[in-house]
Amino acid sequence: MKKMIKDKLDGMLSQYVDGVLSEKETQQVESVLAADASARQQVEELKNLKILLSSQPQLNPDIGFWTRFAVAMDEQKEEEHNLLPFPRKFIPAMTVMASVLVVVMGTLVIQDRMQFVQFLSTKSQAVRDVYNNKILQGSLLPLFSKVDKERALQFSLFGTLQLDDKSETALRVDEQSEKGYRIEVGNNSKSKTKAVTFDRFLAEVKPSAHQKKIIDSLLELTGRRIESSVLIGENNTMAIAPDLPKLNRIMVTNIASCLEPLQRVSFERLLEANNAPYEVTANTIPQGKAGSYFQHIPKFPQGDRFVIITPDTMMYSQIHIDFDSLRRQVEGNFVPSEIRRAAMLKKIMAREFQRLPRNVHFPTPDQIFNGEEFFSVEINVPGEEDNQQQMHVVVQPRFRKQILVPEMPKHSTHMRIGKDTVSTDITP
Amino acid sequence: MKSIEISETGGSVAIPIPGSDWQSENEPFRIGVRARSFVPSFPRTNNANSMTNDQALPKPSVDVLRKMDDEALITAFQSGDRDVYRFLVERYQERIRNLLFSIFHDRDFVDDLAQEVFIKAYQALPHFRFEASFYTWLYRIAVNKSRDELRKKKARRFFSFQTLDEGIERELNVRLSVPPENRDVQELVALGLQTLPEKFRTAVILKDIEGLAYEEIAEVMQCELGTVKSRISRARAMLRKALKPLMEEVHL
Repeated sequence: MKKMIKDKLDGMLSQYVDGVLSEKETQQVESVLAADASARQQVEELKNLKILLSSQPQLNPDIGFWTRFAVAMDEQKEEEHNLLPFPRKFIPAMTVMASVLVVVMGTLVIQDRMQFVQFLSTKSQAVRDVYNNKILQGSLLPLFSKVDKERALQFSLFGTLQLDDKSETALRVDEQSEKGYRIEVGNNSKSKTKAVTFDRFLAEVKPSAHQKKIIDSLLELTGRRIESSVLIGENNTMAIAPDLPKLNRIMVTNIASCLEPLQRVSFERLLEANNAPYEVTANTIPQGKAGSYFQHIPKFPQGDRFVIITPDTMMYSQIHIDFDSLRRQVEGNFVPSEIRRAAMLKKIMAREFQRLPRNVHFPTPDQIFNGEEFFSVEINVPGEEDNQQQMHVVVQPRFRKQILVPEMPKHSTHMRIGKDTVSTDITP
Repeated sequence: MKSIEISETGGSVAIPIPGSDWQSENEPFRIGVRARSFVPSFPRTNNANSMTNDQALPKPSVDVLRKMDDEALITAFQSGDRDVYRFLVERYQERIRNLLFSIFHDRDFVDDLAQEVFIKAYQALPHFRFEASFYTWLYRIAVNKSRDELRKKKARRFFSFQTLDEGIERELNVRLSVPPENRDVQELVALGLQTLPEKFRTAVILKDIEGLAYEEIAEVMQCELGTVKSRISRARAMLRKALKPLMEEVHL
């Protein structure tokens, strides 16, 4: 209580000295002062203190203050435009530090240069290995890694190839479209073509041991050719060599060429029974000249233009393929794991079936068919007809009631891309 | 008749609007223009540093600018003439330097800090709203700046394991113990001020050295009037205690 009263009195006396008290408060203080000597002493001291404080020495006027200030302002402005990660005034210090660092690093490098060289060579070798093993070989993978005799025969006779054993999805090629050829990926479960096993082929045609040997090697070559003609890319891209559709006709021709006339009839019967796209015109082959009708099957696709199918686009475009690297992959040095291949394929197919192609880049008038369960690319290649005429000697297209895409599936879109127009028919 | 009345400082002019019916009342429409203090129309300079800019309008002479009040100079500054800041600096540089000297009692340190105060003011002046007088606003910047500096010093002392306050008190006691005729009274008072905590020191300096009124100190220190009174009273009590031998002997 006493302290509170004392504090209040101190405050009143302080303000009394400053002359800011009201008249009433001044009278109160003066009555206290009249009675209390110590309060009078305090007021005296406060007044003295006030005088002492107010007479504190002042600094001499600084004439050059503005000049120095203007310089400081300029520095400030420069600092505002400073892009360095540290204030400009530290530039000399940072330069010295950087130089010291360079010298220290240089000394360390020179002292341990052998280790560095070794380290760098190890690293560069690692990079080279990754490039050789992963990037170089992994950017494009063959979709079909092991095309056996059965699958090669299936493709040779019918132009159809199951994408994998369990899937109903198949790659179908058809050279006998209106002008060019057609490549199609779609659901094959409803197809009327039946699988012809190699055993059934042998039972029906009854080739001799020599003929069987030729057919075996032909099928093996076809298998190799398919492996290098259908590629799948890391970025969900499928590339198909456009001369793959020819393989169907070439193989029928070649098989027919190595057979005797009676065997040819059996072969034709087998083809007809299974509604194969080509029929063998058996009588046109002169006796003893069968071998001269063999069509050459190149091991790798000829030319570097590919039909490229991505989730968003279809293109007929040039891609450069390192066939040497691909050969190594195909020949078994590097075969993509089945799981990886299936996952990549699933991505392309699932997305492709779900939506229409956004962009179609074809240099010539072509047709794209796209439905819920398939997509089909028809490519017109002018100038191919002469070649086809020549081939009719042995094999000619069968008049088929069932065409490759027998009927427009429900909810499909048929897009025609002409030279000047793009028209779209939507089947409800 | 409908009319627009434009009132100029003092007189007013009524402009009739024939046939206008957008105002239903008979009262004329008044456009009021409040006259502010004299604001010279300076040509705007693109380069804030350049003091020589030949434009069509002549620039007021340096003498005229020097005599202009704070408000006019700030208005000119805010209208784009950054050069007038020089006259504000020249007007207040000594007061700010002395205020900082009283607070820190360090002659070498004062000039750098004063520069920082004026740079800070330069950056903030475009947003100055004339709600307080310029010098209390400037004092506030200086007081805030010195508070920041004292905090930094305190932190530095903490990390260097020094106790500066004790050092000052010891020095003060040593100086007070010498015979009265050898004492430097002003130095003793300055040392006494250094022993006070920052907020008490600043309050008493603003009152007794700078001569500000209680209300102005409240504005500068951004606190209540009662707080200012209490701080000044307590600061004086502390000073009397610190300078007790001096207080008993000095008879002015």
